[in-house]
Amino acid sequence: MSQFDVIIIGSGAGGAPIANKLVKAGKSVLVLEKGPMIDAQPQPGVGQSGFKRDELLADGPEKKLNIPGVSNNGAGYYHSHVEPDINDEPHIYLNKNGGDTATIEGYTAQVVGGGTQLYGGVSLRFTENDLRLKSFNESRVIQNDDNDDVKREARDWAISYAQLEPYYVEAESKVGINGTSANQQKPFSQDVYHPPLNPNPISQFAFNGMVTLGQQLGTNIQPYRPPLAVITQNHPASGRIMPADPESAKTSYVNRFGDPLGLKSNTWVSLLRPIKDDSNFEIRCNCTVTRLKASADQVNEVFYLDPAGIERSATSTLVVVACSAIESIRLLMLSADADSNFSQRIHQNDLLGKYFLTHCFGGASGIVPERFDKSKALDADWATDTCAVTSFLDSQGLWAGAAIYNNTSDQALPVSLFRTLGAQDLDTLWNGFTGNAGLRGDNLINYLDGNFGRGLSVSFMANQVPQFTNRIELHPSVKDKWGRPVAYIKKDWHQHDRYLMDVMAQQCTQVLRNGLGNGAPVSGGSIYMADNALARMANHILGGARFGTDPNDSVLDPNCRAWHFDNLYVTDGSFMPTSGGANPTLTIQANAFRVADHLLGRL
Amino acid sequence: MAVQVLSLDDDYYLNFCTKHLARNNPAKSPLWQFPIIDTSPDDNHLSNKVSFIYQSTGTPPSEIGVFGTFDTLHTAIPMQAVNFDGQSTGFYALTVRVPIGEVHRYQFLVDGQPTLDPINPQRTILDDKTEWSRFFTDYCSYPIVFEEWEYAILRRLVDHILPFRNQDTQNFLNRFYDGLDKSAQYATKEGFHRLDASVGEVNYIDKLVARQEIHHLPTYKICLREIDRLLRQRNPFEEPQDMAKVYYTDLYEQMATGSVPGWNYSAYNNPNYFLQVLRRHAVLGAFSHPKYGGNAGGAGWAYLESKYQDSQGDTLFDWRAALERPLGTNPDYTG
Ligand SMILES: Cc1cc2nc3c(=O)[nH]c(=O)nc-3n(C[C@H](O)[C@H](O)[C@H](O)COP(=O)(O)OP(=O)(O)OC[C@H]3O[C@@H](n4cnc5c(N)ncnc54)[C@H](O)[C@@H]3O)c2cc1C
Repeated sequence: MSQFDVIIIGSGAGGAPIANKLVKAGKSVLVLEKGPMIDAQPQPGVGQSGFKRDELLADGPEKKLNIPGVSNNGAGYYHSHVEPDINDEPHIYLNKNGGDTATIEGYTAQVVGGGTQLYGGVSLRFTENDLRLKSFNESRVIQNDDNDDVKREARDWAISYAQLEPYYVEAESKVGINGTSANQQKPFSQDVYHPPLNPNPISQFAFNGMVTLGQQLGTNIQPYRPPLAVITQNHPASGRIMPADPESAKTSYVNRFGDPLGLKSNTWVSLLRPIKDDSNFEIRCNCTVTRLKASADQVNEVFYLDPAGIERSATSTLVVVACSAIESIRLLMLSADADSNFSQRIHQNDLLGKYFLTHCFGGASGIVPERFDKSKALDADWATDTCAVTSFLDSQGLWAGAAIYNNTSDQALPVSLFRTLGAQDLDTLWNGFTGNAGLRGDNLINYLDGNFGRGLSVSFMANQVPQFTNRIELHPSVKDKWGRPVAYIKKDWHQHDRYLMDVMAQQCTQVLRNGLGNGAPVSGGSIYMADNALARMANHILGGARFGTDPNDSVLDPNCRAWHFDNLYVTDGSFMPTSGGANPTLTIQANAFRVADHLLGRL
Repeated sequence: MAVQVLSLDDDYYLNFCTKHLARNNPAKSPLWQFPIIDTSPDDNHLSNKVSFIYQSTGTPPSEIGVFGTFDTLHTAIPMQAVNFDGQSTGFYALTVRVPIGEVHRYQFLVDGQPTLDPINPQRTILDDKTEWSRFFTDYCSYPIVFEEWEYAILRRLVDHILPFRNQDTQNFLNRFYDGLDKSAQYATKEGFHRLDASVGEVNYIDKLVARQEIHHLPTYKICLREIDRLLRQRNPFEEPQDMAKVYYTDLYEQMATGSVPGWNYSAYNNPNYFLQVLRRHAVLGAFSHPKYGGNAGGAGWAYLESKYQDSQGDTLFDWRAALERPLGTNPDYTG
């Protein structure tokens, strides 16, 4: 086939739901995906997957950065087998000294399924207020916001929670998610979760601490089992079959690992594999889209490099861009550089790349008195919305709330325990261990005695204040392996972000103190304190092409169509005008299902 | 017996090739991913699927094949063109089944011309001075880049990093290896695990700097020579591998501060950095998947498994449950 109803660029959270829905409705779809196809085993016990339970595959051997001019040139770096090599395709960010630093942050994963192959699968909904932070804050008192930025920059989404809610249900059911809805502070019209697996016993401390925190804050809100994108029963929608012992899904080879059994509901196994043999569906892997060409308001040709690097093109009635926010913005900017008509239309205001967002995140970690087998865990066991409700936000003068959950699989395996010692992010892996030469022999044993199977951490995920100056640009000189300008990330934390992170980190610390007793070793902190705080993104790459109802104030219309184009849509995380008080992927998926309905109405 | 040639889809190769090999500018990272060494659950992990890749950029060769010690050295096995969407990609591939634990040399035969693999950075030079491309399979225990004296010094240094040399641990490891010998599991080829008397960390490092972290090989070579020289200077009466522990502890502490009396800083200016690399490698060697050459038979993991138990005597690190057979016990994950 050479003419399609829809071309979708990127097979992750923003792209795959649309492919799934349109193909099932009989429309012809071509997915162009830059990364390779790494399938799961066809069934438990059968076949072979390119994903392995192998810690060296997940964070890779060391490579040496070779990008003259950046501050970390010559430094060692690590990436998994499905993340790009940053010698070939770096992201560059403006560091606090005004220089450039290359980073692996800001990539999700480049493989069929995108970031959902590696993700922890925490699949929370946003709250009603998360989607209306402008109206919510109109007459509220906000602490630590000297210039009233929050009220000026907050935006309501172009859709309400009530409009999105059916699509949350659709995503939860088609993707395949386990969890519980009771105690979540968001309205549910239906609960389609698979039942959760038994929590790892270490998480009891977090549960107790969360219950007490609810009492201390006067909300009395109880914890719930966080929704995780891992099936725990057969999943007819995707044809996936559960192993005989569902509990065996808990391996701690979860966050940052592709799942060889495909129980983790990445978008390939849940949404694309079920349609792969349909004659109206085609996926071309190892194909990097380089630019879109438009005539008047129609994108009429999509150019891509085939697996050998040879340029080809394809055409379709509608075009959906879903490359993960930074790369989508870059693609749109590179397309604009090559085509003045495209440029005029996409730059109809100066908002493309602006209001780039990630999350305010951080938390607390502690050591529990006993040891547990943490190697049997999924990513998180308990969550609470007690810091997302209005009474709490009012008492603290916060503009928006946060989800709080405990991590169970972190530092569960021996290599990860050493690799992430004192390091929370991908750019500083191993530094804590290699910098501490005293950690050897008996001291190493003492360290293992004190930490292996005993670490418990609690995280928060909160909205970041949107700022015009937080932005994605094309780097003026650094090029990728094709000679094309790479993305340049400029961002900083707002004064209110720092305040919010301090407040939330205190709540997480309190959870652990409540659970472990006041004398227990607990420390809290947030991302803005890190040395490379300006690079950090929690793998949550959002904003930069926000949607809205006013063409002068947004890049996309309420259906995620680029204003001034008739057939160009952007559906990855870049559409978000605010980043939500929870991990973003379920919302990206729900929104993509919503846009799919709109597209069906057009075809 | 002739080597078994496997026929795989073109997509299989493209899924490895595009990211590393499709490009306009020369690669800045060593392309150690080639030849592709893939696992083989279909024969119980006794072999690897080894795929050679040749990339033609100019006029396509009319004949292209691979010859090497994995088969008869003298006949080249033809490679197949890899296509995408019915068109040639310039990639040629051949997949053969090679037993685990082996090292081989090979060359391409391009239009009758023997040619070193331009992608794979691994090379070996024979006594007759001929140069070959090299690969090795999983669970390999033949020394590849280090000589015997280098192994010996590394073993002594690693003993100060990892906890595997006290009496309790040694007793544990002896029991563990005896058990493995009896159960004759695949991962313990003859003599394999005894190599280090520890859990195989040095064997792991040998493989790591032969392939994935080949950029650290010169550092190791220079620093080990320097350490050998220093130790002999400090104690002219014994071979470095036989010297008392204190020689190594002193050296370790001095390297940790970066100031090593007698070190030739013009040969290598940062002994502390070498120690950092070595410590990271040692920990990886003890606890990474055994196929990379360390953590023999899972000995590093088994150490944690036996050390950490609850009051009922049940382990608190049940690593086998998640892993493929026969190394682990998971009935669903094939590895
Ligand atoms: C380790 C890790 C843990 C995470 N944990 C969680 C979690 O617990 N909960 C949560 O909600 N989120 C989590 N995330 C984030 C989650 O993965 C992302 O939010 C989500 O995948 C974003 O969806 P997307 O559609 O924007 O991009 P992606 O899912 O990343 O999809 C983008 C796709 O586009 C492809 N692409 C890029 N450029 C091009 C091009 N030029 N041409 C063709 N294709 C292209 C990429 O290869 C990729 O496959 C995690 C991420 C990581 C890496």
